[in-house]
Amino acid sequence: MKPRGARLVFAKVKISLTPAEAWQPQPATEWSADAARHLLRRAGWTAQPAAVDRAVGEGLATTLERLFPVDPILMPKPRAIQRLEGDAPELVQAAQKMSGEEKFRAQREVQERQRIAVQDLSLKWLRHAAEPDGSAFAKWVLFLSDVYVVSAEKVRNPAHLFEHIDLLARHGLGPAPALTKAISRSPAMVTYLDLNQSQKRAPNENFARELFELFVLGEGNYTEKDIKESARAFTGYRAQPFRGDFRYAPAQHDATSKTIFGQIGNFTGDDAIDLAYQQRAAGAFLPHELVKFYLSSDEMLPAEYLFALGDQWRAGGYELRTLAHRFFGSRLFFAPEFRGNFIKSPLQFYLGLVQDWSLDVPPLPRLTINSLRQMGQWPFYPPNVRGWVGGRNWINSATLASRRQLVEMLFTPIDERSLNADEQVDLLAARANGSPHFTVDDSALTGLAQLDPSSATNRLVQNFLPVAVTPDFRVSVEKFLSVGATDEKQRLRRARRAAVTLLQSPEYQLC
Amino acid sequence: MKNSTPFLPTTRREFLARSSGGLGLIAFSRFAPSFLVQSTLAAAPAPEKDRSILVLVQLAGGNDGLNTLIPFEDADYYRLRPTLGIAKDKVLRASDTLGLHPAMAAMHGLLHDGKLAVVQNVGYPNPNRSHFRSTEIWETASRSDEFAATGWIGRYLDNACAGQPLDSHDPVAVHVTNGVPPSFLGAREHATFGLQPGAGNRRENEETRQLLEKMVAQTGAGDENDNGTFLRHTLMDALVTEQKVQRLLGDYRPGAGVNYPGNPFAASLRNVAALIAAGLPTRVYFVSISGFDTHSNQLAAQANLLTQLSDGLAAFQKDLEAHKLDGQVMTMTFSEFGRRPSENESRGTDHGTAAPLFVLGSRVRGGLHGTAPSLKLERNQDLTFSTDFRQVYATALDSWLGCPSAAVLGGKFDRLGII
Repeated sequence: MKPRGARLVFAKVKISLTPAEAWQPQPATEWSADAARHLLRRAGWTAQPAAVDRAVGEGLATTLERLFPVDPILMPKPRAIQRLEGDAPELVQAAQKMSGEEKFRAQREVQERQRIAVQDLSLKWLRHAAEPDGSAFAKWVLFLSDVYVVSAEKVRNPAHLFEHIDLLARHGLGPAPALTKAISRSPAMVTYLDLNQSQKRAPNENFARELFELFVLGEGNYTEKDIKESARAFTGYRAQPFRGDFRYAPAQHDATSKTIFGQIGNFTGDDAIDLAYQQRAAGAFLPHELVKFYLSSDEMLPAEYLFALGDQWRAGGYELRTLAHRFFGSRLFFAPEFRGNFIKSPLQFYLGLVQDWSLDVPPLPRLTINSLRQMGQWPFYPPNVRGWVGGRNWINSATLASRRQLVEMLFTPIDERSLNADEQVDLLAARANGSPHFTVDDSALTGLAQLDPSSATNRLVQNFLPVAVTPDFRVSVEKFLSVGATDEKQRLRRARRAAVTLLQSPEYQLC
Repeated sequence: MKNSTPFLPTTRREFLARSSGGLGLIAFSRFAPSFLVQSTLAAAPAPEKDRSILVLVQLAGGNDGLNTLIPFEDADYYRLRPTLGIAKDKVLRASDTLGLHPAMAAMHGLLHDGKLAVVQNVGYPNPNRSHFRSTEIWETASRSDEFAATGWIGRYLDNACAGQPLDSHDPVAVHVTNGVPPSFLGAREHATFGLQPGAGNRRENEETRQLLEKMVAQTGAGDENDNGTFLRHTLMDALVTEQKVQRLLGDYRPGAGVNYPGNPFAASLRNVAALIAAGLPTRVYFVSISGFDTHSNQLAAQANLLTQLSDGLAAFQKDLEAHKLDGQVMTMTFSEFGRRPSENESRGTDHGTAAPLFVLGSRVRGGLHGTAPSLKLERNQDLTFSTDFRQVYATALDSWLGCPSAAVLGGKFDRLGII
């Protein structure tokens, strides 16, 4: 599909730094509130004023230590998955002894529980990712999951899906080869890219191909022979359909000699991964993905920039944490040509709104997962092995309308009469653990309503918009806030509508 | 209500007139509404005004079919429904054995006039009793063990609108719901449009839209980036449509003697009628009424909802007839599931399976279609469907919208004689 904007003429981004300068550390003298907002919006979901103050006070290096820490910020395994893991083997065994309609019914029962647990996993992940202290890390895991893609459409086992993101989190800031090896044993990946089907006599090439093309090297940096030979190295990898564990089946492994990237040996799967990381292209590949995910989704940096970062990274042993610190701390990352021009993904749009207004993620798929789907990003269901395309592809008349509707929805109290009984029960349960805010109530707007129109406009623009706006823009908002603002109720209403509108503006779609 | 002069122009003439009047819109022609920069569109034929239109009405929550189309001669019905059963003398007769809920007098009239078809016992194999999942199955028209990424209306649009220019402003599908229905998701982008349900606060919407228009129309800071321009352009397109739609709604007058009841569902239907009357090229409308999840004290709740449904649809049909548009429009209800035949301990019913659905229109073959479910059931046993919902869809696609249903539904389904 051709994006709607294709007919517009877009200028090429001019890069203000040479490849040698690009990845030098951003000088401390350049650290400012604006720079902190840029970092927080790009590395996480949004830049709340308190978080900006904190980052400014701490300085860039300390902030990066905090955003990309030594210890991973793990998400606890949802109870629904734990329960299913406990019950599933027995349920499956029981089903195997049955026959006909009864067997079919029992199998469907398991499928149904899996489906509900995947939905629950999505909601729990949204809640986890919305925690301000873990946002950058959660987004990093999302980034990795957009490289090491699996989809719930094929991997129906929620325990496998959970283990996959758990592996990405545990290895996400360690050495990249260890991450890739762990992922090659992720039961979700073993299922998704058909390693499960790969046999000694009939090796399946799907995983080996994507390993080189989409995980480590990129197209053009391997031969068909490398794929064929590596596919043999990965024979014997198995995932159990209803258990969380990976299994190696030596009898299915082809232990004979292979030739991979010109080297000959009785290579295993891990060897094939190590051989891939010996290639220079491996250094530049992940930086390429980083740029696409965090810096500029519509235009790629010239190769010399990628190699400038990649060669360093490769020489240092492929530490992902080092790469993250260097990337997010670089002069290029903060260069003016990369400020305020990135189109937020639906997940960032949603989670940013949740954080901007201190909201809680409601336990209602209809108000969360459905919205994300409509905006084009269904969590755990990327469209294909390449993941989401992103950039301008996020935006068309329908998805933009969905974004606007999401804002309206978050500013309108949930109409509980329209909920079905299950949703009411879930809502009640969520309320039992405190008093969650699922929508923006008046208390969140009182501060804004009490300001004079000019200060209120300043606050809205500064807190929410990543780009400069014209004086006319400001005047429009100021006028809107002052018209008929005779009493407190009217001022609140005006503040609410001004905020809603600002969040629907083209500027708020950017970060 | 007449709206004030819109901030953004909706026609080329307005655009030119106001540009010379100093608004300076010409200055940002780089992202002016696409109808102004795309010459191909000017040459595009006017929307065909006689195209068939489908209106979908979602009864969200799972409507109790057994108390909607009531088998008043079946002793098993009263056995399963000791407190919820509707007495034989209250039922509005549709045949010797079946009749409508007493709240549905208006729809009973339409049935009598031959404009209402009742398709009995509609469902699908291996029914799912989760609201979310079963709604998804209906909206994606998939098997219960298959997950489709696109909706059936979206796939219809993929097929029907292949040649349609993307920059056409007028929406091909309109939903009057708070979110975009999953039904509308297609493999390709389509101009769809969402209206707030109910009459809405038109003044507030108007104010907000004007502010947004001003934000969008500002020329951007001098160094505006390409993505900013792109977003501005896309949003401007949407606002032009929105403005047009709001003006149509504000100017609309229902036909003489047509009184829409004063509830949000009826107000939504009035707005659909307004857009149909305006001759938009929109082929599908989606309206929703919720609250059918009647686990307790069902009698009053369902009676209230069925009154809204019946009176709302009857007013809608009458309005279309007054405007001589009734030949163009077919309205169809659906609900994610019916409810359990045996009532529960709270004078309510739990999630079930199949249920009747309604198809309304002047070109519809009225009366009862399909077969009634057997009620020879144990306590807590469910109905077994006799008509697959995809047969209803196939009929709507093939015989009403004129789109080969196999391409949309991924298989052949026997059509019904409802049109």
